[in-house]
Amino acid sequence: MVTFVILAVVSVVGALGVVLLRQPIHAALSLVGTLLTLAVLFVTLQAHFLAVIQVLVYAGAIMVLFLFVIMLLNIEQQRKEIRPWLRWVAYGIGLVAAVGLIVGALLDPRQAPDAAVARAALQGGNALLIAEVLYFEFMLAFQLVGVLLLTGMVGAVALVQRRRPPPGGVSAATAREAVLTDRPGRPSSHPVEAGGR
Amino acid sequence: MDPLWVTLIKAFVLCLVLLGAFAYMTLIERRILGRMQHRHGPNRTGPFGLLQPIADAIKSVFKEDIIVTNADKVVYVMAPMISIIFALSAFGAIPGGPAGSLFGFNPWVVDLDIGVLYVLAVTSVGVYGIFLGGWASNSKYALLGSLRSSAQIISYELGLGLSVLSVIMIAGTLNLREIVEVGVWTVSPWLWPPLAVAFVAFVISAIAEVNRTPFDLPEAEQEIVAGYLTEYSGIKWALYQMSEYVNMMTAAAFISTLFLGGYRGPYVLERLIPGSSEWPIIWLVLKMAIFMFLFIWLRATLPRFRYDQLMRFGWLYLFEVALAATLLTGAVIAFVL
Repeated sequence: MVTFVILAVVSVVGALGVVLLRQPIHAALSLVGTLLTLAVLFVTLQAHFLAVIQVLVYAGAIMVLFLFVIMLLNIEQQRKEIRPWLRWVAYGIGLVAAVGLIVGALLDPRQAPDAAVARAALQGGNALLIAEVLYFEFMLAFQLVGVLLLTGMVGAVALVQRRRPPPGGVSAATAREAVLTDRPGRPSSHPVEAGGR
Repeated sequence: MDPLWVTLIKAFVLCLVLLGAFAYMTLIERRILGRMQHRHGPNRTGPFGLLQPIADAIKSVFKEDIIVTNADKVVYVMAPMISIIFALSAFGAIPGGPAGSLFGFNPWVVDLDIGVLYVLAVTSVGVYGIFLGGWASNSKYALLGSLRSSAQIISYELGLGLSVLSVIMIAGTLNLREIVEVGVWTVSPWLWPPLAVAFVAFVISAIAEVNRTPFDLPEAEQEIVAGYLTEYSGIKWALYQMSEYVNMMTAAAFISTLFLGGYRGPYVLERLIPGSSEWPIIWLVLKMAIFMFLFIWLRATLPRFRYDQLMRFGWLYLFEVALAATLLTGAVIAFVL
């Protein structure tokens, strides 16, 4: 219980940091802290596999990408807000959601799962048990999520792809590109470098 | 399962051993590089230069600890700590011998059911140290080093993960100790080709993950001064060096454990001296030494990749090769065995 309270406070403070910190890098770091705290929380609930996946996927891959993009773009602190009213709408929605969550939890309090039972069921976060549930019971859902992710990936590739020259003539975009890529001292094509960004 | 105090003592001892090994790895590396480049290397401090690491340590501690004026102070101080904490904690899951072989104790700090994933997860978080350090320094060279490092690690983590998959599929477990006990090469000769490919792909990605030559673009001194290390000095710089070498040792131990039978001794010796493959620690250390030497040897031999070559190699060759090895392993398991 003491561990839970400490972890809960740390993760909530981290989550607040994401919203309140001005510097984008600090906000992203705060999110990393929250994610790591959640992973520790999973460990205390005997869900070791989930904890490691949380660290590996969110902290290790997704947040690295986030920080990479923030650093690459070197986002300046944006003082001028484009739609000032939107901030208040967001505050309102956030407040309603928070109050709803707390009220919901108070109206329908549930006993936390017993650690011993969870340990027996998960066998120390055994990946085999999770695989059985994931690949037999929820096989179809799992495959569908895979297809969904693939769709997202194809969409991202389609968005950043260069336009092909139309059959008739050369468009302005491709002409500009040709000028850019044929600068002296630079190899004419960098497919990976361009695609990697 | 050990009592908590045993685990704590073992963790503490492991940290000390790793840091001691780091100090002497710097000496060994400089001496070997010296031999390979027809010069002596450090040989003045003590016999064979054996006191050089101690002299270096004293120098690092007493050097002025500069914090750059325009740096993001909190992140600047935090970054080397993140680096070393995650570097040290990754090693704990790697088994050093069979259960109870170390004076009745288990020669590992923790025995996790998901040891493989644990090591991968902790090492992937360790990269924050590098690119936060580069960003917080508020210098263009440091930032370039950070960007290179994060792009590199994202690219090579895929190859790393995919090449581990073959081993996991064959062993049928994520527990490092059980992987060693199964002995992936003994399962079937049909699995040797995909395993060999996965092994090579894994070694290459591991070198990229620990930022060693030819993948040391984040600190390419001919191009960007020292990359993320540019603005660091004294003990903070030493912490980064420590984490680099500890990461190298973890990578070496991880490769040995996954692909080369980890803590088990050679079969021939087991026939000559029965029980020799049960000796703790020694076989793992010998196997690690081979890979540490390989890392140093590569540093003396290979030139550095250019950035676009690095990206092309990672995404167009290494990833595909690792994927092919995984598919081949799956096919062999499904149709032959």
